[in-house]
Amino acid sequence: MASIAAACRLSARAATQQLRNHGPRRAFHAGQTSLGAQNFNMPALSPTMTEGNIANWRVKEGDSFVAGDVLLEIETDKAQMDVEAQDDGILAKIIQGDGSKAVQVGSRIAVTAEPGDDLSSLEIPAENKSAPSQDQAPKEQPKQESAPTPKKETKPASSSGGSKASVGKARKQTYPLYPSVQHLLKEAGLPKEEADKIPATGPNGRLLKGDVLAYVGKIEESYASELANRLKKLSHLDLSNIKAAAPKEKVPEKPAVEAKKTAIPEPPVELALPISLQAVYDCQKRVQESIGVFLPVSTFIARAAELANDDLPRSQISKPSADELFNAVLGLDKISGKSSRGSFVPQVTALPPASLRPAPTVKKSDILDLLAGKKAAATKAHVSSGATKVVGPLNVFSVSVPRGDERRGRVFLERVKSVLEAEPGRLVV
Amino acid sequence: MFRSVVPRALPRAVRPSAVSRSTFCAPNIYFQGRSRRGYASEAEEKDLVIIGGGVAGYVAAIKAGQSGLKVACIEKRGALGGTCLNVGCIPSKSLLNNSHLYHQILHDTKHRGIEVGEVKINLQAMMQAKDTSVAGLTKGVEFLFKKNNVEYIKGTGAFQDEHTIAVNLIDGGETTVRGKNILIATGSEATPFPGLTIDEKKVITSTGAIAMTEVPKKMVVIGGGIIGLEMGSVWSRLGSEVTVVEFLGQIGGPGMDAEVAKQTQKILAKQGMKFKLNTKVTKGDMEGETVTINTEAAKGGKEETLDADVVLCAIGRRPYTNGLGLENIGLETDDRGRLIIDQEYRTKIQHIRAIGDVTFGPMLAHKAEEEAVAAIEYLTKGYGHVNYGAIPSVMYTHPEVAWVGQSEEELKSAGVKYKVGSFPFSANSRAKTNLDTLGFVKMLSDAETDRILGIHIVGPNAGEMIAEGVLAIEYGASSEDIARTSHAHPTLSEAFKEAAMATYDKAIHY
Repeated sequence: MASIAAACRLSARAATQQLRNHGPRRAFHAGQTSLGAQNFNMPALSPTMTEGNIANWRVKEGDSFVAGDVLLEIETDKAQMDVEAQDDGILAKIIQGDGSKAVQVGSRIAVTAEPGDDLSSLEIPAENKSAPSQDQAPKEQPKQESAPTPKKETKPASSSGGSKASVGKARKQTYPLYPSVQHLLKEAGLPKEEADKIPATGPNGRLLKGDVLAYVGKIEESYASELANRLKKLSHLDLSNIKAAAPKEKVPEKPAVEAKKTAIPEPPVELALPISLQAVYDCQKRVQESIGVFLPVSTFIARAAELANDDLPRSQISKPSADELFNAVLGLDKISGKSSRGSFVPQVTALPPASLRPAPTVKKSDILDLLAGKKAAATKAHVSSGATKVVGPLNVFSVSVPRGDERRGRVFLERVKSVLEAEPGRLVV
Repeated sequence: MFRSVVPRALPRAVRPSAVSRSTFCAPNIYFQGRSRRGYASEAEEKDLVIIGGGVAGYVAAIKAGQSGLKVACIEKRGALGGTCLNVGCIPSKSLLNNSHLYHQILHDTKHRGIEVGEVKINLQAMMQAKDTSVAGLTKGVEFLFKKNNVEYIKGTGAFQDEHTIAVNLIDGGETTVRGKNILIATGSEATPFPGLTIDEKKVITSTGAIAMTEVPKKMVVIGGGIIGLEMGSVWSRLGSEVTVVEFLGQIGGPGMDAEVAKQTQKILAKQGMKFKLNTKVTKGDMEGETVTINTEAAKGGKEETLDADVVLCAIGRRPYTNGLGLENIGLETDDRGRLIIDQEYRTKIQHIRAIGDVTFGPMLAHKAEEEAVAAIEYLTKGYGHVNYGAIPSVMYTHPEVAWVGQSEEELKSAGVKYKVGSFPFSANSRAKTNLDTLGFVKMLSDAETDRILGIHIVGPNAGEMIAEGVLAIEYGASSEDIARTSHAHPTLSEAFKEAAMATYDKAIHY
């Protein structure tokens, strides 16, 4: 009697456990934004591996990765191995950080999300304790097929990743099944979902014809993975019996290559030049008096800018086009010249009276700052001396040019100035 | 008047002179700074310096440029692309294609219903066409260098120390480059035959074979590998009497399936080439007008003397590291001159890597290309991948020969049980209509799992068709997978599909 009671208690506990396990997962399935969150469990890198140390994570929290990227390095008592991502995704959270010791196979070490998921709104799924046993014993699965629970549970475990070393593990087949595989499954009367439970020995965990043959018992069970191992050996350069005596110890440390620095866009430089519009006003007046047409000043300025934009010296910073590069290779660049059309539009501001203007403080760049690599405050108007001969209403024309391209902007401004001050009449002819 | 206005208008310009100078000088200082920085960057350390602008080197350079590394590539030839583009794959393909066209017009068009008058060969123009193709392609690479910000240094590089390379510039002068990482991609050169001095006139390598000024009457090719057979084909088509002397018992070199080699030999013999297999060249004499070659059977006995206007030495290639200064940094090569590397292409000096012909693996341009990308990815991402089990080999004779994976002999010696399926082009509709039916597709798959282990083709367009086989092997496909994939009708590729059908089941049309 007692034993029956105990059994009942046990089953009741199991039921509640199931419930507990499922509650949060159902919740996470419901949330749209968190659909992609998955537990990433400690993979078994060899059939006998039960626990391992995490040497270091190669992907940081919040970083995205693509299939094939090395996510982390795991140490076992035998070796140190890289674990590669099987799918694209984002590493949402690292649960077992660098240097974690004796992490059980199948226990959660991180949470991954689908590419493009919003991490801030991501729900971290509950740890899926039952996953490892599923993973290790995929062969028992088909018999329990009728029970709906284990089927659901394999999903996060198998799709969450895996490792290069795990040849012959069942995993979710994310690619279309090979024609031979589909055919064999049909022939054996297995549903398509069964493919996820067959240990796959193909490249990147793809399910091959041989795997299905082994699964349905048509060939030796271990044969497919033996073949896979043999072919894997062939896929590497054979460096085994090099004659000259050379040490071949593997150094895990990679040559330090600085990550590409994300270039901070430098603020554009403001160039300014005071230009007298007296000649323009005179010309405007003359035109109105002679033909009775009023030309707004903006027309003069626009036309002057148009003219000045022609044949500017080549931009120092713009990338040459493919044609230009090819011409350079062929030696034609000397013929085609070194100028290009600009697209500057001058900003015109009237100069305020000097008395109202506070003397601008020009901060000299400190040599120490320069040495320390600090950028001097950039946007500072360098106003060069203006109107040399002409006196009249002075306006400051300014353009902002990208740093490094000041010469181009200066030439432009000087041209505008000479056109507007010397012969604005040319603009209306 | 002017003065009275300007202070108002331009307060800064007339403020105490120190300030005004500072406003004026600021841009100058800026430019000076820039130019100084420009000089500095030349002596500055590069992220990567590549020695050799061949296929391995230039692909690595472009890939590195794309990855944002500061990279310089040193090439001494004066043109990029290395052996492949300048004196190898590319020019030989130009000659193969055009000589085939000539040969076809001469011998093959009549029964197709095309009658041609007098057909003449203008060797000079044929060479010109070849040179135009080569020049276009090498310039194209140079353009890609510019596009991807690769500094191209024309000169001969030699290691000064582990990070510094002294470059003897082509245009005179010397310079040095420093690199955080260095990639050796110096390639290979033709192995000379002991006892024969290569003068590229009477005794030539592949380099001379693509630049002959007249068609030799008699030509002896030492070495029946891919290079020997391709160049032999060219000159045989143009009218030479070509004899191929091969030490081994089959043509095509190692890796070519014996059945394929045999069939190919038969076809080439029909085209006029003569073969002496199992024959060893013992002596060569260059005195006099012609070259005399003494041969004997490889297993001893039976001596013979061959007379030729030109002897093509095509016994293989060897890594080229002359003058690279390896001794200055203590880098070692193996007994065949290959630089010793690990699986990540690193030499024993961790920041120096070697890829391509100069190190292990088959000496193929596409293998070098794969390695170049992988090496740069090891550098930038810490992970790279080349599947050496899925690298195709192609011989561009007519018909072409192509294969990937293992040959029947290799499988036998490895003790693997396999299934064979083959399909002849004579049963393929397209080959029939093209009147080009020589050859077959042969597929080898694992006896148990049907996973494809090797694919061997001799036939029209084999070089293009093998791509499908490489893909199949890369994906671990079975012959059934190929057989169940639709192939367009009528195409030569149907023969490929039928061979797959023959492997796992039965072919329909044979």
